[in-house]
Amino acid sequence: MRMYRRVGASLRRTALHAGPTILGIVVLNFLLLQLVPGDAADVLASESGTATAEGMAAIRARFGLDQPVLTQLLTYLNHLAHFDLGFSPRYNMSVLDMILSRLPATLLLMLTALSIALILGILMGAVMAAWVGRWPDRVLSVVVLLFYSMPGFWVGLMAIVLFSVHLGWLPSDGDMTVGASLHGFALIGDRLKYLVLPALALASFFIAVYARLTRAAMLEVQRQEFMRTAQAKGLHPIVVQLRHALRNALIPVTTVAGMHLGNLLGGAVVVETLFGWPGMGRLALEAVLARDFSVLMGVLLLSSFLVIIANMLIDLLHAWLDPRIGAT
Amino acid sequence: MTVPAQVDQGSRAPARRGRKLRAFTHNPAFVAGSVILALFVLMAVFADVLCPGDPFDMVGQPVLWPGQDPEFPLGTDSLGRDVLAGLVHGSRVSLLVGVVAAAIGLAIGTVVGALAGFFGGWVDTWLLRVVELFQTTPTFLLVVVIVAIGDPTVQTIAVAIGVASWPTVARLVRAQFRSLREADFVMAARSLGYGNIRIIVQEIMPNALPPIIVAASVMIANAILTEAGLSFLNMRDPNLISWGGMIGSGRDLLRTAWFLTALPGVAIALAVLSLNLVGDGLNEILNPRSDP
Amino acid sequence: MIVKFRPTRRAALMGLSALALPGGIANAAPRRGGTLNFMQNNEPQTLVALTTVATPALTVSAKVTEGLLAYDYDIKPRPQLATEWSISPDGKTYTFKLRPNVKWHDGKDFTSADVAYSIELLKTIHPRGRNTFANVTGVKTPDPLTAVLELSKPAPYLIKALAAAESPMMPRHVYEGSDPLANQNGNAPIGTGPYKFKEWVRGSHILYERNPDYWAKPLPNLDRIVFKFLPDPGARSIAFENGTADIGYRTPVALSDLDRLKKIPTLVFETDGTSYSYNVANLQFNLDSPIFKNEKVRQAIAHAIDRAAIVKTVLFGYGVVSASPIAPGLKEFHDPAPSPYSLDLKKAEQLLDEAGYPRGANKMRFKVPLDYNPIGDENRRLAEFMRAALARIGITIEIRAADASAFVKRIYTDRDFEITLNGHSNLFDPTVGVQRLYWSKNFKKGVPFSNASHYDNPKVDALLEGAAVEIDPVKRVAMFKEFQEIVGRELPDINLYSPLYLTIKNKRVHDDSMTADGVESNMAECYVDG
Repeated sequence: MRMYRRVGASLRRTALHAGPTILGIVVLNFLLLQLVPGDAADVLASESGTATAEGMAAIRARFGLDQPVLTQLLTYLNHLAHFDLGFSPRYNMSVLDMILSRLPATLLLMLTALSIALILGILMGAVMAAWVGRWPDRVLSVVVLLFYSMPGFWVGLMAIVLFSVHLGWLPSDGDMTVGASLHGFALIGDRLKYLVLPALALASFFIAVYARLTRAAMLEVQRQEFMRTAQAKGLHPIVVQLRHALRNALIPVTTVAGMHLGNLLGGAVVVETLFGWPGMGRLALEAVLARDFSVLMGVLLLSSFLVIIANMLIDLLHAWLDPRIGAT
Repeated sequence: MTVPAQVDQGSRAPARRGRKLRAFTHNPAFVAGSVILALFVLMAVFADVLCPGDPFDMVGQPVLWPGQDPEFPLGTDSLGRDVLAGLVHGSRVSLLVGVVAAAIGLAIGTVVGALAGFFGGWVDTWLLRVVELFQTTPTFLLVVVIVAIGDPTVQTIAVAIGVASWPTVARLVRAQFRSLREADFVMAARSLGYGNIRIIVQEIMPNALPPIIVAASVMIANAILTEAGLSFLNMRDPNLISWGGMIGSGRDLLRTAWFLTALPGVAIALAVLSLNLVGDGLNEILNPRSDP
Repeated sequence: MIVKFRPTRRAALMGLSALALPGGIANAAPRRGGTLNFMQNNEPQTLVALTTVATPALTVSAKVTEGLLAYDYDIKPRPQLATEWSISPDGKTYTFKLRPNVKWHDGKDFTSADVAYSIELLKTIHPRGRNTFANVTGVKTPDPLTAVLELSKPAPYLIKALAAAESPMMPRHVYEGSDPLANQNGNAPIGTGPYKFKEWVRGSHILYERNPDYWAKPLPNLDRIVFKFLPDPGARSIAFENGTADIGYRTPVALSDLDRLKKIPTLVFETDGTSYSYNVANLQFNLDSPIFKNEKVRQAIAHAIDRAAIVKTVLFGYGVVSASPIAPGLKEFHDPAPSPYSLDLKKAEQLLDEAGYPRGANKMRFKVPLDYNPIGDENRRLAEFMRAALARIGITIEIRAADASAFVKRIYTDRDFEITLNGHSNLFDPTVGVQRLYWSKNFKKGVPFSNASHYDNPKVDALLEGAAVEIDPVKRVAMFKEFQEIVGRELPDINLYSPLYLTIKNKRVHDDSMTADGVESNMAECYVDG
């Protein structure tokens, strides 16, 4: 019963807090984008290789680009209140459809990368903490530090050189084999093939982060009173580690992972561009270059939602992991 | 009773200072990191001496492998430019952008965090909102947008990265100030009639510095990585050679001349590694844990 | 070079297959069936080239939506949706006899009403159609298979403008009464073409399938075409090597990679099919700038440019030098005479001294920014080459990078530039592609690819305006020749080269580039081996 009340209170707090935050995000980003030189009409014209003044004026009138900034902002907010994200001049479809078409690919990549990072990171961190000071710890610390320092996209590039160019095992572009209608396991296998390299490239940095955090948190926890109590109780060392040390170490790790969830969208931009992954990071970048601000605002809004939801989930997770954390 | 203690303190003072210095020099992470970092800084400062001339000059036959021609120990790129010269001169841009961006981020973040943490109340609430606003926007996208507002020059990129990265510092500083503002020495300073500004700058700030210093090294590292990513996406200063830019140009030849992407990446990794080592070392030294 | 034969003669010539030339003769009957994997650099925004003429849209458009005519390598017209055509002696009436029994993909008949509607539409919203069809006052449709265009003035370029990708014929019943810019036909098109639209997964691919009721049955040969988009040149190279891409055009890989790719036995390099739109790269001056107003400065820079070296280093040899804005490929109009300003660094230095810009204390005369068009990869390297070349005569260049939108705004809207490296397509006729750069009436703020330098010469205006309506081909050529001589001398810009575009394909692909516009045509005859 208490759990439900805690959840309810948490949700209410989030909702109250989220409203003004989202409004602030919309206004801030909208005004920021107005500072960028050029507009969608310029880009459409320049890509055509030909343009006429009337044509550009027509495009601008059609998308309201020739109106004063405040009018455009109010129009956008008005549409937003009706859950309408607008229409994209570049893709000639509604922004919502555009985003929804790219969302699955992004979620797949992000969640896979995050899962790999969490699993490998926590595992490595736990091993390092368990053998602290001895050679497994030292070796893994170097490995982790290297992952922490290498740019993710460079890891991706080197992975392409090895696995795609020289060994030919894995593809280096796209998210599936086009035109081949596969089903069942063949389909899953095909998708996995394309997912491996981008997910690893994206995950490499975060593996290191979580490994370091886990190690530090577990070492911290090991020094605390209740651990000695557990050991004194005669519990098996591994049980002690897993049930107590690891469980408490998960709190800072999940907090940070949650923070990363929102930012993973931005970090995915480079990796998605490198691997031609049809995700929202690449969409956002294309939108900036094409001055397609409706799409960009849509992506930014979505990522804010993600962050808010992630924070909420973390709060709930913490409440479950550490009963000492109350509803305040 | 106090006299022996005072004598004790007096005789302990130089030993304590010596201990502190030894803490730095005996920390392997800090030493290793500092050495590598110093090498990079020297490389950047003496770039013109080490590799005279313009790294953009097309001086050799295109796409020579490292070791193929003794004149170009690390080979040449598709336009016949010396890779070694590029790496040496490129350190300037990477380090410069890293330091300037981190400085901007630290400056803004420290001010905002100090004000929020110290004053609390509605100042804190509103500043926290602003921090949240920035934090919910994906950092990299924010940088891309800011760079798009101006020209892709080194200055714009540094400012963009700095402006996008201050929220983390702000939170850190805020947490520090929140815990420190109730401390005894602050109350003592207040009772002496010190003004708020004086308390913030002279009393709390020096005690809040350790985590900020550690954060600084991390911020420089992140700034270098972000700049590399931007350069790779072609948002780079066309008049200055940078490591990320070299990776971007070399990408066309990934199939045959993969060293063009590998070598600048190694440079970036080493520079960032050294900064992380320094940061780790500083963290251990400045935030010592009580021994069990 | 692919040697083409019409299907009827192929069987008879099979005996000559022993004399197979490299590149392959179509010496076997084309195989029916198979999938062609077409690789593009970028994803188009729409699948019908009505509101846009961006390159990615042209290929996908022409396979579904056809045009009245097709063109051979010399841009001589051939039938497509029109079987016969004639132009009145005064050049003001064009009569087209349309092909009978042509159906739209939804089963309705193709008639002259569609042609009339399409030409009206092209005239109002097509980026080039506004100018191409500007002289058209109306289209008469005396019967469902005849369309008559009536012009107020002659338009000698019009007959060349009717290719599928340039002037697509739209289904009236789909567009009438709607807003053509918003019409969803652009996302799922209906046409008369050999391929039908099947699906478009944004960010991934477009799928076209054979039209079983195509008017040129048994064509098309292919079962389906899959369009994929790989923005990364390295990925494109890899796709060609491992066979996931069958064909790509406009040199889809990095120029530096070409030599290596040419050694791969499965790949074929095609130069045909690029004559519908030659590009010319140029260095444009802002004639309103105090420095470049001075013709001595411009002449000095002209003396410092080594076009042959540019083609060799920037283009890796895949280009042709051109001192003229009209590409060498447009043989009848191009003036092959070299620039009156030969490569002469001493003369350049002397001219700069005379112009009042002596070498200063740091050995440099003055510093100017250089903006380059970011579309395409060569311009960045060209900018770096220019920096080195102009440094030799004492001019310091500061390269300014910008993305496409900022570039357009800076050059055309704000006119905040000194010199810029740009490139334009000649298209199929100099009036359509070249006039826009030198005609004083095309100095339009905010419009990209217009007269950026603000060149204003009444004699040149007269020549261009005259050539636009001159129906005597001899007189027309003479006008263009004189025009080239004047601009070559006055230097509102310096023209540099015309790139040589290659179509790269797997050797299993045949008959892809049978027309002037190559793979931008409907590719009905294309086939692949098993």
